[in-house]
Amino acid sequence: MTIPGFILRNALRNKRRLTLTVLSVALSLFLFTVLQTALRELSQPQVTEQSALRLITRHKVSLASVLPLKYQSRIARVPGVKRVSRLTWFGGIYIDESNFFAQFGCDANALFDILTEVTTDPEQVAAFKKEKTACMVGIKTMNRFGWKVGQKITLRGTIYPANLELTIRGVYHGGIDETNLFFHHEYLDEATGWRVVGCYWIQAANADAVADIIQRVDAMFSSSAAETKTETERAFQLTFLSWFGNVKLLIGSICTVIVFTMMLVTASTMSMAIRERTREIAVLKALGYNGGQIFGLILAESFALALVGGLIGCVGTWFLAQNVDMYVLSHGFFVKFEVTPHIVSAGLLIATAMGVVSCLAPAVASVRASVLDGLRELD
Amino acid sequence: MDQAIVQIRELSKLYRHGDIEVVALNSISLDIGRGEFVALMGPSGSGKSTLLHIIAGIDRPTSGRCVVEGTDVSELGETALAAWRKQHVGFVFQTFNLIPVLTAFENVELPLLLTGLSGRERRDHVEAALELVGLADRMKHLPRQLSGGQEQRVAIARALVTDPTLLVADEPTGNLDAHSAAEVLGLLQTLNSAAGKTVVMVTHDPKAAAHAKRMVHLEKGELLNGGGS
Repeated sequence: MTIPGFILRNALRNKRRLTLTVLSVALSLFLFTVLQTALRELSQPQVTEQSALRLITRHKVSLASVLPLKYQSRIARVPGVKRVSRLTWFGGIYIDESNFFAQFGCDANALFDILTEVTTDPEQVAAFKKEKTACMVGIKTMNRFGWKVGQKITLRGTIYPANLELTIRGVYHGGIDETNLFFHHEYLDEATGWRVVGCYWIQAANADAVADIIQRVDAMFSSSAAETKTETERAFQLTFLSWFGNVKLLIGSICTVIVFTMMLVTASTMSMAIRERTREIAVLKALGYNGGQIFGLILAESFALALVGGLIGCVGTWFLAQNVDMYVLSHGFFVKFEVTPHIVSAGLLIATAMGVVSCLAPAVASVRASVLDGLRELD
Repeated sequence: MDQAIVQIRELSKLYRHGDIEVVALNSISLDIGRGEFVALMGPSGSGKSTLLHIIAGIDRPTSGRCVVEGTDVSELGETALAAWRKQHVGFVFQTFNLIPVLTAFENVELPLLLTGLSGRERRDHVEAALELVGLADRMKHLPRQLSGGQEQRVAIARALVTDPTLLVADEPTGNLDAHSAAEVLGLLQTLNSAAGKTVVMVTHDPKAAAHAKRMVHLEKGELLNGGGS
């Protein structure tokens, strides 16, 4: 037998309690990591090398305000700008409001030159460009609704007074978001009779030009009726996501409660386990184990218990992310649902820290108790 | 008397319960020689267990000295005292106090985990100790699979395995039937006479005390007959 073997024997002496405690910690860690993954998705939009070159120009006052069409040609002439596309949020409903996904009117000819990181079939892109009522859809949304290329769908307008009858001409894969639907901006213009643009999507020639473009574009329209705010695509997404501020607070609060509950569960278990062993601990002391060694035995047991629970919880979250389509499950709310090493590390760190903290009081009490008091405990 | 391994001088122990002071030991002086088998006897509350606990380094005197093999145990700090116990004292308790989730072998091995011995060396020591108490064939048994007498013999093996200076036994036969008690007392006697172990045993049973070479009687915290009979 070794010291770790002795610790293991102690931990396994009440298997039912051990199982329930480990499962409590595992469930807590599972919830914690799931919520942290969700929080990450809400607060940290994905960035690729290509997306870092993309900028969004919108109305300075609000996203709900629109920009004039004539801005496009002026933005295109700004030094460092490689391409510009209109990009207008349609906000239509497909059959039912719960079927939410993003739909954008755009310049079909520029779309995949700007959105360079996605993979498409050139024939499908060509078909999309040729047909004004065509659309291109991300693979996740295609799978979510079971759509096929060639299928016709109707988007009921909510912001714009028009319903769009679209034909799916192609699918794109990859990129930071595989859920969007893109259609011809001209179709929206005709359907509504409006000639306005939600945003402009700018592709910079290189990373060095980004800051200069932002400054020049906004300066160019600073005295106009529709002043602009230009920002990187990531900053723009963060603006959207900042609307979830209360959700973030809620998730943070739930995580705190989970951690606290986990600590109480572990502390309760360790207290019971140590109280049951008061006399045995006294015997160990009588045999020559000193306070530090007793403390180490208790600490190691609690640490191991919390670590195992934490590992099970993290593996559970990883399994969920790998095997369950969170995009479908969340009705399109979560796109990537990526369980990062950082989240897993944070979860395990919290679990083990709670394991340590929760055993401190009973461990210190055990160390302080005299051998005689311990021996008398159950005599 | 052979060279004294335990020298107790003017040893007192007071317990305080609120305003009430209870004298457990009152200015006791006593020597125990190397290789002796001493039975501490006396009625309940006489202070015999308190004296044993102070000799074994699990309790401290209020005043006086308790020197065991040249070390005044009452002056050691907690960590030093634990290290001293590990090296010098083997405990045998009335209620055996084996760890229920460990086998007989593992219970005996427990004190050796603190030493720098290799696994092989530990195994040799444990097997020798269990052989000595006649339980070589019960090594893999858990305490619940052993009789009371066998449990106490495992406890004796655990006390012996580190080859301590002193073997202290607190009512070692108190929870045993007559047959098992005779076995355990015979074993302690053999360890004393054949292996030269110094044994200090607390008992209130004259039959058990008869196995000792010397009986020390206590009453109301004081030695009767100057500590020898």
